[in-house]
Amino acid sequence: MSSDLDALMSATFHEAGYAHLVELVHQQDPGARRRLAAVRVDAYDAAGVRRVAAELDPAQEILDLDALAGAAARAHGRLLVVFDSRYDARVFPYRPHHYAYLHRRDAPGPPLYYAVNATLGGVPDRIGAVALNNFESYLFLERAGSERYALALGNLSRFAAAEAEVITYYDGARHVAPLRLPPKHHAEVALASERDGARLRRVELKALFRLTSYVVGRRAAAGELVLFDHLFTYFK
Amino acid sequence: MSSEAAFTLDPALDGELLCYCTRLTFGALRRACAAGAWPPPGYERTGKLCTGCQGDLLVCLRALGVRAPA
Repeated sequence: MSSDLDALMSATFHEAGYAHLVELVHQQDPGARRRLAAVRVDAYDAAGVRRVAAELDPAQEILDLDALAGAAARAHGRLLVVFDSRYDARVFPYRPHHYAYLHRRDAPGPPLYYAVNATLGGVPDRIGAVALNNFESYLFLERAGSERYALALGNLSRFAAAEAEVITYYDGARHVAPLRLPPKHHAEVALASERDGARLRRVELKALFRLTSYVVGRRAAAGELVLFDHLFTYFK
Repeated sequence: MSSEAAFTLDPALDGELLCYCTRLTFGALRRACAAGAWPPPGYERTGKLCTGCQGDLLVCLRALGVRAPA
């Protein structure tokens, strides 16, 4: 793939049983059908073994991720799906975004829509982002829910293992869970919804370098995803 | 962050991107380190923008003989 174009590496997770459609370029309007210059998709199992590899036609608008990776997900479990894109900065002066639709096929609830996590690139200096993005937070709803929460984390490095901390806050109490992820490995770290009678209020992720990260909520009874969202960088 | 022991940087990766923000390739990193000229002009912010490549950058710098100043 060319190193003369701007680059973005984004990633998500795919599980068997879900309809999962990825809009390769979210910034579309009737007057400008923007295209990536190239896009490659690879998917890895939890142990970092590549199970899917595909070069996509950059003119393709929607990727049916379950059609591409569903068989691998059924055979090997949840996959870390990596989108390695090249683009012309004159076409995307900000940067491209991939955006996705996610819905478990047998679930009565509504689908989820989410922005695919941009993990490498996106030239933060050019887009005016000045905060470090390897320290991230997520605030949970005030109301008590019946969901089970977790952080889904993936390490996109080629060589470096990631040493990370998942820090949860229960009213005033703080709980730290260390985590080590070798390259291309991924994990879903469960977040207890209560500790000593106090509710989960906030989670933080800290690592030396940026990881792919999503907050995951699953319906307690059936386990289907009811929350799949990126973290934020409000707290430093 | 940790690295594997006896790590060597495969020349087959030279055309691949290390840093997706500054567009530094593994080959450019190798050449700069061989010339004792890390970081080359324009690449000073490698690893410091999105931070996603910082772990790999440190592994490669160590493998290519660049040490942090005492």
